[in-house]
Amino acid sequence: MTESATGPLLQVEDLAVEFRTPYGVVRAVDGLSYTVEAGRTLAIVGESGSGKSVSSLAVMGLLPTPPARIAGGRALLHGRDLLTLPAKEHRAVCGDHVAMVFQDALAALNPVHTVGWQLTEALVARHRIPRRDARKRAVELLDLVKMPHAQQRVKDYPHQFSGGMRQRAMIAMALAMDPEVLIADEPTTALDVTVQAQIMRLLAEIQAERRMGLVLITHDLGVVADVADEVVVMYAGRAVEQADVFSAYGSPAHPYTKALLASIPRLDQKGGTLDVIPGRPPEQGSFPDGCPFHPRCGYAQDVCRSNPRPEPVEVAPGRYARCHFAADVMADREPVALTKEVR
Amino acid sequence: MSRYLVRRILQGILTLFLAVLLLHLLTTLAIQVNGNPARAFFGDHVPSKTQLAAVEKRYGLDDPCFDQTGNPCLGPFVHRLGDYLHGDFGTDLHDRSVTDIVSTAAPNTLRLFAVVTVTWFVLGMLLGSVAARYRGKVADGGIRGASILIDALPVFVIMLIWKYIVTVPVYTSLRDKLGADSFWATLFKPSFDRTHPWATVIMPGILLGLAGSASFIRLVRAAQLENYGADHVRTARAKGLAERHVIVHHIVRNSAIPVVTAVGFVFTDALGGAVVTEGVMNIYGMGGTLWRAVQTNDVGVVMGVVTLLTVLTVVVMLVVDLLYAALDPRIRFD
Amino acid sequence: MTDPNVTALVAEETHQVPPGGAPAPRGSRSIWAEALHTLSRRPTVILASLVALFFLVVVVLPGAFTSTDPQRCDISQSKIHPQWFGHPHPFGTDVHGCDVYSQLVHGARPSLVLALLVVAVSVVIGMVLGLLSGYYVGWVDAVVSRVIEVFLVIPLLLAALLVLSLFKGIDTGNGTFGSIVQPAIVLTAFAWMGYARYVRASVLETKNLDYVTAARVLGASDLRIMVRHILPNAIGTVTALVPTAIAGIISTEAVLAFLGVGVQPPAISWGIMISNGAPWFLGGAKYLLLFPLGCLVATVLSFVVIGDNLRDALDPKLR
Repeated sequence: MTESATGPLLQVEDLAVEFRTPYGVVRAVDGLSYTVEAGRTLAIVGESGSGKSVSSLAVMGLLPTPPARIAGGRALLHGRDLLTLPAKEHRAVCGDHVAMVFQDALAALNPVHTVGWQLTEALVARHRIPRRDARKRAVELLDLVKMPHAQQRVKDYPHQFSGGMRQRAMIAMALAMDPEVLIADEPTTALDVTVQAQIMRLLAEIQAERRMGLVLITHDLGVVADVADEVVVMYAGRAVEQADVFSAYGSPAHPYTKALLASIPRLDQKGGTLDVIPGRPPEQGSFPDGCPFHPRCGYAQDVCRSNPRPEPVEVAPGRYARCHFAADVMADREPVALTKEVR
Repeated sequence: MSRYLVRRILQGILTLFLAVLLLHLLTTLAIQVNGNPARAFFGDHVPSKTQLAAVEKRYGLDDPCFDQTGNPCLGPFVHRLGDYLHGDFGTDLHDRSVTDIVSTAAPNTLRLFAVVTVTWFVLGMLLGSVAARYRGKVADGGIRGASILIDALPVFVIMLIWKYIVTVPVYTSLRDKLGADSFWATLFKPSFDRTHPWATVIMPGILLGLAGSASFIRLVRAAQLENYGADHVRTARAKGLAERHVIVHHIVRNSAIPVVTAVGFVFTDALGGAVVTEGVMNIYGMGGTLWRAVQTNDVGVVMGVVTLLTVLTVVVMLVVDLLYAALDPRIRFD
Repeated sequence: MTDPNVTALVAEETHQVPPGGAPAPRGSRSIWAEALHTLSRRPTVILASLVALFFLVVVVLPGAFTSTDPQRCDISQSKIHPQWFGHPHPFGTDVHGCDVYSQLVHGARPSLVLALLVVAVSVVIGMVLGLLSGYYVGWVDAVVSRVIEVFLVIPLLLAALLVLSLFKGIDTGNGTFGSIVQPAIVLTAFAWMGYARYVRASVLETKNLDYVTAARVLGASDLRIMVRHILPNAIGTVTALVPTAIAGIISTEAVLAFLGVGVQPPAISWGIMISNGAPWFLGGAKYLLLFPLGCLVATVLSFVVIGDNLRDALDPKLR
């Protein structure tokens, strides 16, 4: 793993986000840390409700702060903590350096403004570039994402684009301010499989060209394997495993990761039943004591069922897993019953 | 876009034609059922020979179709359409042309409607936005409760209360203290005054606007609520845009659409309300003219004014539709 | 995962379960029950319902409230101020010596009967046309939509003023029905469009839902589909409009009577009383205007409060 020359672009440390709900206070994200570096792709993987989207929205300052609250942690952009900035400045700083691409392009784009207007909206409003330059820039941006007939399409409205084209437009819009970090929240979930591949390839090309840091939020393990350098696996608001993709897929160090990988149907295995993870992810606000995964875990022992929750274990340089038996899981061994002092 | 424009205009013309035809059919039926056309047009008045002759000539009442109940009388209809296209909408009992009467009366109605529209938009946008922003809190509940109450009182009742119960005592005391020509006194004058055409129209206009504003308040609130949580607003914020810019270009801009369409719905009610308002407050406008014509059973004027106001309604609906298309690109391309 | 509505529907359509015996689509019953529950908790709604009920009873049983004949007027007894209850003229008499209280009691009838009649009939017409045009689309829809637009363009009050002025000379009798038949016809003719549009929109929305398609596949007739599966969704919006519509017609009748084209004398209505009483407001007989105005306001207010609250309770988007 090569160190980037300029240091990490975005560093999230111990991020915790709480929501106030009618049922009490819920921790949607608990102690999440990751680093985004230039030219590298970090994938955040998890089921719905695991907190993967919420964490990015928190970093960007897009969570509505009456129900939501940043309960702790830092988000360092070039060394500056975004979370301590007042909302207006937070978003302004983010807007210049971190861009976000959302899942549903049709809902994420304003139906009453042309795509061209939306592409350069931030440039015009914040940097006051003249209209003619803005129009030229909009066409350039569409060319960047390989949109055919860019000159005409700048004047079109979002509903006039197909799904894949709309997603390209959104990516173009994200690139307008030349961001260093791009967060893509499920960019291909709403698209056909063939279009998915095109969009992912486009993202990869753009990232390589601009040496951006890419954060890819997804639940699609296949895409992760294809595109990501590092992966963070989230469960119940916590990062249960963090590793480079190769190691995580080859020798997962957390039972959840292992079970996820095992449940992917494989073309080279015939017959039999699919391996599923029994049970369902816990409801927000009703997490069990101890490790949140223990009710569904094949490796669960007594220590797992009681507090304190497992802390991250460094199973290899740069690899972490929140499991009392991480080493055993990684080595594919039966867990040895542990007493509390031994980690 | 131009194709949509042309299509809408043609539709509008067709609707207008059919509406005028409908009015004609109703009038024709009345004349046929009444037996004696003079009775249909003059009611309790006894018409002079010249008046009777004029009416018979104008409406082609010597045509035999008027003796058969149910005959649509298309001949006279075409003839009347010709009259309309020439700007001839009939005369009153004193042989004054309706167009003449209306042209003197129209400016006052326009003044009234100007006040009404401003009231709608100000109240709608202000209270609706406040209610949306403080959703679920006291301000929201209070505004919603108030709009229910505003809805409750029909214009007729509001005007009667205003005229008899509020203005009479207030005006008398203001007039005694500040003089009959002072601004405040004229504001509360129980009836319209030609020498103060704006001042005596303001309060009735506000009250009329109040009566219709409930829909606007509700609509603006609902539209803004929908937009506050909308994804495209989140995207705009993600781009680092200032909150004010987001509010103007993404929230207000998008909420304008349903509000504009609401104008189309509320307009016909507002016309009815304007008739009542002008009638009760003696405002010499189109509605007031109609009001008095009904009271004196001056059917020629009633017909002429109702037809004119129908034309006006069609035009307003058309404008609203076009405005809607201008604001919402999604419907332009159907 | 099967839609529970579809499962229930299959059971019903294949006669394995008697109609109505199958669980209703989870949406409809709970919305109504919930709405009723919310409304019964609001003191304003309770009060309004009591007032509305009171006036309805007055309409049905005027005799229970007064035995004086409103039309028996003794000119020597004119302009007596209210003597309040226990006396022969509790609310006084008018210019002609007619008893105000009994006028109020009997005057309720034309107003309310007219309103109920007009709303009932226009709702039925509107629903039928809305259903047909939304369900069959094509030329049926084109025609109905055009008709709706034409009628919509002519404001209700204006149409009523025109038609009633023209038909003024015609005598249709003095009974409850006769005195209101003309305004009833005109107002109904120009009041149905709103319902037609709502129902049509609702039909267009629901007709492509899975459970409707399932019913069609199972061979249900068009009529059955319309009534049993599509209509229940439309009824919610329409019902919410009814009380407010009733209030509107009551006040429209008052306007018409005020102008002399509504209910005709010697029949009495609140509008006529207001019309007669207004000039006397400054002439020393304020009560002649205030009593009928008060009744009008109370009735209208109560129906509107009920209607607005009902609409809020049934509309999920307003939450």
